Amino acid sequence: MTPELSAQNNSNTRSVVLYGVAALVSLIGLADSIYLTIQHITGESVRCTITSGCNEVLGSPYAVMFGMPLSELGAAAYFTVFALATLAAFQYKLAGRLMTVVVVLMFVMTLWLLYLQAFVIHHFCQFCLLSALVTTTLTVLALIAERKQKSATSPSR
Amino acid sequence: MKRILPFVIILLVLGSALGAAWYMKRSNSGGATIPSASLQPGSAGSAAPASSPVPGAEPPHVRGSEKAAVTLEEFGDFECPPCGGVYPVLKQIEGEFGADLKVIFREYPLTPNHAHALVAAKAAEAAGLQGKFFEMHDLLYENQNKWKDMFDVRPEYEGYAKRIGIDVERWKKDQAAEVVDDRIFRDGARAHSLGVKGTPTVFLNDVEVPFEHLTLDGLRAEINQALSKKK
Repeated sequence: MTPELSAQNNSNTRSVVLYGVAALVSLIGLADSIYLTIQHITGESVRCTITSGCNEVLGSPYAVMFGMPLSELGAAAYFTVFALATLAAFQYKLAGRLMTVVVVLMFVMTLWLLYLQAFVIHHFCQFCLLSALVTTTLTVLALIAERKQKSATSPSR
Repeated sequence: MKRILPFVIILLVLGSALGAAWYMKRSNSGGATIPSASLQPGSAGSAAPASSPVPGAEPPHVRGSEKAAVTLEEFGDFECPPCGGVYPVLKQIEGEFGADLKVIFREYPLTPNHAHALVAAKAAEAAGLQGKFFEMHDLLYENQNKWKDMFDVRPEYEGYAKRIGIDVERWKKDQAAEVVDDRIFRDGARAHSLGVKGTPTVFLNDVEVPFEHLTLDGLRAEINQALSKKK
């Protein structure tokens, strides 16, 4: 094996690992969103143990979009990311691209939700902060993985 | 096989996620929105609740005679439609039984399902700091259909505050007061300690009244039975 081929293989393996990790991380987001959706459906109060603003945040009109609880949209988004990351880890190249697009959109949404919590609602909810952390991690992973994949496919000099 | 494997994994995760969601929903709702009483209604005052209950907000919001033989303790959410339905029933029952009955209202806002429930609870508690809790409580329930679908309920509630003649500026500030949050939290803690899962949940001398008995006839029968045992 030439050094070039070996470097390409290395990059490829790294991107596979990164997509694998992204798939696992997205499961945390999926679990978080499912929990919040179920609390929403059953009408249970969500008790915050670290921060104090769960009722204020989750009970605000901002917790609902197009008549759907945001957590439900979040669950769908995390599942999509999980599916795309899994496919990307199995070398479906288009899946990696799509995942980056979805994750970047989720990241923009996360920034908006963080702004709402900090400056409009003036309360933070720990489950929303966990989701923000997961989305940020996914964004970083997706961007690095795509770079690695690009360097694995483009001819190196 | 390698090409199929990711789809198998995705389907497995989808199945697990749906299964987990179903399980959580089932365990949260306990099979019914209103938990059935673990003790037979009618044995009022003769048995202690199953768990050791915590006190709730002090002093509680009480209507009726302090020395009444029968105490009805309601855990309510101002936005919940069944609570709005039980409100006129309780009001009529209060009138009928007079000095024999004491009614306590405890906050149990079911957020996030009811977007305005917490704001409503705070509005009522803040009115309570000026001695007008039940006046606000009544207006919130009487106008529930009008405000429950509004985006911003605050101007509507402000109108109620003006109608009941409280200091509106103080009331506005009080809604953010720690004592208001604390009262709602304490009532919630009491609800949890009693195993309350839905609203309205009503206890008659510490024994839960089944939801289907929260009618005029049902409550009359329950209260009369409790009174006859006291005599």
